[in-house]
Amino acid sequence: MLEARAFEPGFLKKLDRLVLGIKRARTVRAGNRTLGRVQGLGIEPENFREYATGDDLRFLDWNAYARLDQLSIRTFRADRQVEITILVDASASMAFPARDDKLGLALALGAALAYVGMSDNDPVRMVAFAMRRGQMQLEATTFHRRRETYLDFKPFVAQIKCGGETRIGAAVDELLHHRRPAGIVIVISDFLVSQTDYEDALARLLLARHEVKAIHVMGEIESTGAYPPGLVRVRDAESGETRETVFGPEAAAACRRKVEEISTRVREFCAGRGIVYARAFGAASLDTFVEHELANLGVVR
Amino acid sequence: MGFLDPRNLLWAAALGVLVLIYLRSRSRPTLEVSSLMLFDYAAAPVASVRHVRLDPLFWLEVAGLSALVLAIAGMYAMAPARVGRGRSHALVFDLGAAMSAREDGTSRLDQARRAALKFIAQAPAGDEFSVITYALEANVPAPQTGNLAVIRAAIDALKPLAVAAKPAALSAAIIRARGSAEIDLFTDRTPPADAIGGAVGASAVRVHRIGHGDGNVAIAELDPGTVDTTRGRAVVRNFSAAPRLMDFAIDLDGRELLRHPLMLAPREQVIVPFGPLTSGGVLRARIVGEDAIAADNERWAIARSDGAAKVLVLSPDTGVRGDLARVMLAINPNFQVETIDPAKYSPAKNVAKPYDLAVMHDCYVPGIDAGSTLVVFPPIFPARSNSYAAKIPGLGIGATVDSAAMTSKLGGEPIAGPSAALRATRVLQLPEWMDALAYATHGSAAAVIPIIAAGEVPGGRVGVVAFDVRDHFLFDPDRLDALIAVVNLARRLTAPGGVQVVPTGAFVTLAVSGAARVTAPDGARETLQPDQWGRVKLRPLEAGRYVVESGGARFTVLANYYDAAESDLGAAREPAPASSAAPPPAIPAAGPKQVFPLAFILIAIALGAFVIESIILVRHASRWGMTHV
Repeated sequence: MLEARAFEPGFLKKLDRLVLGIKRARTVRAGNRTLGRVQGLGIEPENFREYATGDDLRFLDWNAYARLDQLSIRTFRADRQVEITILVDASASMAFPARDDKLGLALALGAALAYVGMSDNDPVRMVAFAMRRGQMQLEATTFHRRRETYLDFKPFVAQIKCGGETRIGAAVDELLHHRRPAGIVIVISDFLVSQTDYEDALARLLLARHEVKAIHVMGEIESTGAYPPGLVRVRDAESGETRETVFGPEAAAACRRKVEEISTRVREFCAGRGIVYARAFGAASLDTFVEHELANLGVVR
Repeated sequence: MGFLDPRNLLWAAALGVLVLIYLRSRSRPTLEVSSLMLFDYAAAPVASVRHVRLDPLFWLEVAGLSALVLAIAGMYAMAPARVGRGRSHALVFDLGAAMSAREDGTSRLDQARRAALKFIAQAPAGDEFSVITYALEANVPAPQTGNLAVIRAAIDALKPLAVAAKPAALSAAIIRARGSAEIDLFTDRTPPADAIGGAVGASAVRVHRIGHGDGNVAIAELDPGTVDTTRGRAVVRNFSAAPRLMDFAIDLDGRELLRHPLMLAPREQVIVPFGPLTSGGVLRARIVGEDAIAADNERWAIARSDGAAKVLVLSPDTGVRGDLARVMLAINPNFQVETIDPAKYSPAKNVAKPYDLAVMHDCYVPGIDAGSTLVVFPPIFPARSNSYAAKIPGLGIGATVDSAAMTSKLGGEPIAGPSAALRATRVLQLPEWMDALAYATHGSAAAVIPIIAAGEVPGGRVGVVAFDVRDHFLFDPDRLDALIAVVNLARRLTAPGGVQVVPTGAFVTLAVSGAARVTAPDGARETLQPDQWGRVKLRPLEAGRYVVESGGARFTVLANYYDAAESDLGAAREPAPASSAAPPPAIPAAGPKQVFPLAFILIAIALGAFVIESIILVRHASRWGMTHV
């Protein structure tokens, strides 16, 4: 299975010197989102501001008050680690076509990003989601900070099974239900859901001040439409609906056109919201993705 | 079009299996995919693609299998036969006694013979004929051949038999003729529809009705009565619609006893009494004068004379000795019966006293000089000392059962009531030369065993009674069936030797000492070889006297013929079907339709289909780069 590659020493060696770039705001007042910086505590002076009732008098700048006769509060900043959540789609659609091993690719990418994210000792967790029997099921690991604990992800990755429906919106709801500081949420999915579902989900993550990255995973066969030729009855792995079709060059072209349409739609939405979008089509693209697409996700050397 | 054996069309079920295999192979596989939205732009298949797909391999297999099924079912085509060549005719002759009826100075068989010969003479060159006859059974004197000389010779050699033609034999004859395009049936009566319809197949049957008269008188029965006691009688029947005046005569041992004219009203049956006879002998009744069927104008019977005969009764039981002696005297009061305890009997002392019949109960003394032997409740000897071997070769006594029940016939239900209940009974293992005359069942499984048997070997006639007759069993009023069976057996054993009266068509078995020369009533002679038991078997098919000579011995078999249906020539004149008008129609220029079997063509089609299929497969295989298919 492809996910096992994420724990191979050779593969990890390629990731050793990579760091997940995080847009850290310079100041609170700048109005930008701030990740990992909490005002007030710390030792590094950051700024001054007017005193307001209730401010801690210990931070009052008495020298300035003496010179300017104005009460000013010195502010300091304290660096805090950024929580990284890697949200992996484990619905039934990730299991088909079986030869594509989409789930393995998604888990391998998620684990690789977790490894990279742990380079700054940021806490990283992996979460698998799927709607099963009408209930959203989130399977999550604990946060791991140091790379020495990276192998703790291995049992989790190995036991994830596909099943249920893709409901990204419901998964995000469940995720946000447990209040956590704003961090990075990397969504890995095939996005074979309704457009409103994933758009609503990504938008709510942004509203919760998370930095969102989206990785679009597709299998080699389904992205190229390279099914065995002939008259077949195709069945939707999640809904169970069926229809008949004749596989051949025309059907393959139609499939490719549809995949491109879905990919474009997701990419345009992400681009409009400042969400980083990358796509990994085909299990063979794992190494290519690590070498080229990680930069798009903000990974720097 | 038609089928010679339509039942083989059941093999067409194999086509259903082929279709099932085809449907399964072309059924649409289901492919599970991540989402149907990926196929939004893929075109749906059109209906024609889903339901009909041109699969040449499948259709070739269907064609090949269908052709094979039709070939197995014997598919044929009916087409007009080519004139002048190739047509096959089966000439089927009725050889029943009625075909010997003489009308206008010629017999019906002669008329049929002439009609057939004329038919052959008119046939175009190249036609083939076969000659088939039937009476008791079907025979093929001349199989299908184009050699008309052989056919004519076979027709000339036909002789009517003194037996009634059986419908089953007619069916068998038609079945044998079924391979011919035309079947020409020469008979004097309308054949039963079911005898022909079920057997004719695709051949055309043309019935040639022969004969027109009904003037036949027959002796239906001859009862000699009891010598010096009761009168005999003969039954004479006039089958004609006109009154007949006949001379009727009765002879005893060649001496004419009675002769007087008989005036018979139309279809009248009269009883002619005579006697009582003053002595026994061979009795012969005959009708003197011209009559249609000669075979039923003579009838034989044996008048039994109660002459003196010596009978020896051996039994360890005094009561049984007395009972058996009474039975023998009841059969013939002139019997001289001697009863002895076997323990006191010595064959050496009685060597000068040959007996006509030796009856042994629960004992067996091999050295008795007797013409016939009756063993009642035969003793069981040790396996290695089979004392029966000399006189009764092959007889085996298996065991003794405590009780048994007489049956009405072989394998039939036991006779109801106490008359069926037998006491201790030996389980007999009969040799081939013995015939079982009565059976019984025993045990919970109702196993059937013979209880009375008789046969004849060169050493004399032998009878065996398997059950015990102690305690006056034979004279028990509730055991009449057993008594009657024993009396009949004793009568059979004491009947005059050398003469038998049998109906024609029955098998007669005679014990001879070597090859037997048989002289038939018409003077024809034949030599028969005896079987391992020293017996010859003959089947009289002519009415009259058969003489069998072997090793200086001479046997006479008197065969009687009478069959009310066959002798009734008037009944044979029922309206005939339109196709049976005589004389036979002239052979048309364009012959009638003939059967053309299509088996070879169908097999060729099947082979062709399979060869084409193989070629297609090989081409596919070469395209796929496969070297072995």
